[in-house]
Amino acid sequence: MKNNYILQAWLVLLLAVFYGGSLAGVQLSLSPKINENKINETRQRVPALVLGKDRANEPVEIESENIAVEKNGRKVFYNVFKAVQDGKQAGWVIKTSGQGYGDKIELLLGVSPDMSIITGLFVLDQKETPGLGNRIADPAWRQQFVHKKTDKKLVVVKTGAKAPNEIDAITGATISSRSVCAIVNNTLSDLKPKLAGVN
Amino acid sequence: MSNEPTPLERFIQGIIPENPTYRQMLGLCPTLAVTGNLKSAMTMAGAVLFVLFCANVIVSLIRNILKPHLRIVIFTLTIATFVTIVDRFLAAYMYSMSKALGPYIPLIIVNCIIICRCEVCASKQSVIHAGADAIGQSIGFALGLGSIAAVREILGAGSLLGFHVLPSCWPNWVIMALPPGAFFTFGLLMGTVNWFVSKKEKKQNNA
Amino acid sequence: MNYLIDIFLIAISAALINNFVLHYFVGICPFIGVSRNIDMAFGMGCAVTFVMAIAAFISWVVTTFILIPGAPVTTFIAGIFLPAEQAKAVDLTILSYIVYIFAIASSVQFVEMYVRKFFPPLYKSFGVFLPLITTNCAILFACLMIMSKVVVDNPAEAWDIGRALVLAIFGGVGFTIAIVIMAGIREELDMCDVPKPFQGAAITLVTAGILAMGFMGFTGVDSGLRKALMPKPVQQASITPVKPDDAGPSLALAHKLVIPQQEQNDK
Repeated sequence: MKNNYILQAWLVLLLAVFYGGSLAGVQLSLSPKINENKINETRQRVPALVLGKDRANEPVEIESENIAVEKNGRKVFYNVFKAVQDGKQAGWVIKTSGQGYGDKIELLLGVSPDMSIITGLFVLDQKETPGLGNRIADPAWRQQFVHKKTDKKLVVVKTGAKAPNEIDAITGATISSRSVCAIVNNTLSDLKPKLAGVN
Repeated sequence: MSNEPTPLERFIQGIIPENPTYRQMLGLCPTLAVTGNLKSAMTMAGAVLFVLFCANVIVSLIRNILKPHLRIVIFTLTIATFVTIVDRFLAAYMYSMSKALGPYIPLIIVNCIIICRCEVCASKQSVIHAGADAIGQSIGFALGLGSIAAVREILGAGSLLGFHVLPSCWPNWVIMALPPGAFFTFGLLMGTVNWFVSKKEKKQNNA
Repeated sequence: MNYLIDIFLIAISAALINNFVLHYFVGICPFIGVSRNIDMAFGMGCAVTFVMAIAAFISWVVTTFILIPGAPVTTFIAGIFLPAEQAKAVDLTILSYIVYIFAIASSVQFVEMYVRKFFPPLYKSFGVFLPLITTNCAILFACLMIMSKVVVDNPAEAWDIGRALVLAIFGGVGFTIAIVIMAGIREELDMCDVPKPFQGAAITLVTAGILAMGFMGFTGVDSGLRKALMPKPVQQASITPVKPDDAGPSLALAHKLVIPQQEQNDK
């Protein structure tokens, strides 16, 4: 009787082996490509974020590292890219994330080597309201962050930014705008002491 | 069972008369979830075509040695394998698309269209029948997805496949890109399709 | 305390804000098919919640201990044949979809057998839905969501079993809420004079659209709640760096006193 079960299931077992083999083949042939995609997704943004849009095609060497920061008894990890051009450090790009209006917002933040000036901001992933909150990904809005000094916290205002640390809110999406600002502020205050003194 | 449909009939049947989306109401999750723009809808339809075709052909090949009580296990195993392959393939060659579709690609596994076609058609008929059926059903599915996605993308963003088709003074109906818009569009299109069908039937009855 | 708030927010988010049916569109088939009367809808909802919790448990355990790179069981087994470095890198996540669908199918089987044997009245009320649940996208979706939270770059952020279970249970609760509301509306709709082509699925979909619009109103509740519930860490974070340049409350008060005078001068 016991044999009978195995006999009945021979087709299932055979197929399982066959599928297992083909999946292993797929894994072996495609996984390097997938990993490369994952890494490139962030890396190809680095030159534009550090050097500015016009010089995005210049070659930049990128070193990636993970930095842990102790915060309220919890360890927070940041993926940080160090951009080096002609042997000199051109700047930092920090991958960071935080709570937005809808869901998590993932950002890439470009900062000058001494961590004093923001050189670029890119929205990697967001699920804000289409048409309103998702305009945080608009280049025009993101451009406001460029050249901002990091010594003061950035503040979102609704009535037109005047002071150097003010950012215009997106109409109808003040919370999304504030979330982005808060993420940027948090990241900078976490990492400034760690990265500013490296060079 | 005397008048078995030919492969060609099988093929045509899937497109309009037995359209999986509007007539059979199968596989509704992707129909609503990935129809925010036409490109992702077409990628989804392509993925379904691949999985349905492979699963149908394999099930049809082994239909004679298939034990009836083990068939669902085999269907599921086959479908899950091919879905994994599609998922990895998209991640390797269309990374941004695979990120946008997210969990809806693996959800093809539980898409009723595929298991239903395996059960109804592939496990009883020859490979050619099964293959034609798979392609027909997939084109029907693509039509269903495409119609909803086109309406949603045009009204929601004023564009089609990323190109602007409406004048720029068009106020984008944001609601169309949001979840409620999916329900509205699908509901209204389904009502329209029903209306056409009933009109056609009336004509046939009168003639 | 932080953990409890986290759990609470995950629950609210899964049940209301990102409702499985009305936001992610999973489990639409039973939502349209079974929502004809409230009792049936509730039975279906309970069955889905129950199976979802079990499937989520299994998939969390399997993902954490076997599938992800560096999982203990796989590392141990692979360690017999391979050097330790390679054993840690063994990545079985390609098998995850197959594992999940079979975890769901088998948990449905077990639940059905168990309920039929020990709770016959319960089986009578929602036993008929159990086989249908295997192909319910909502459950596989819950498993996939848990996977996306466990397979992350940074091991400190990976979800534990508590969060996974809460997500699954409240995802099920959200499904139940949506389907029961829909059943209530449809019972009323039966009395209405709906144009003929729209009868049945079409009008249900349009109604679901209006319902989804209502549920959209919950968006953003979770970030607001998080702010309201977590005053402590925010203060700690803001006080420490601000202190040096703000010089205490007395100066801030002085600022406030000065400002009105300036305004008067401007006039």
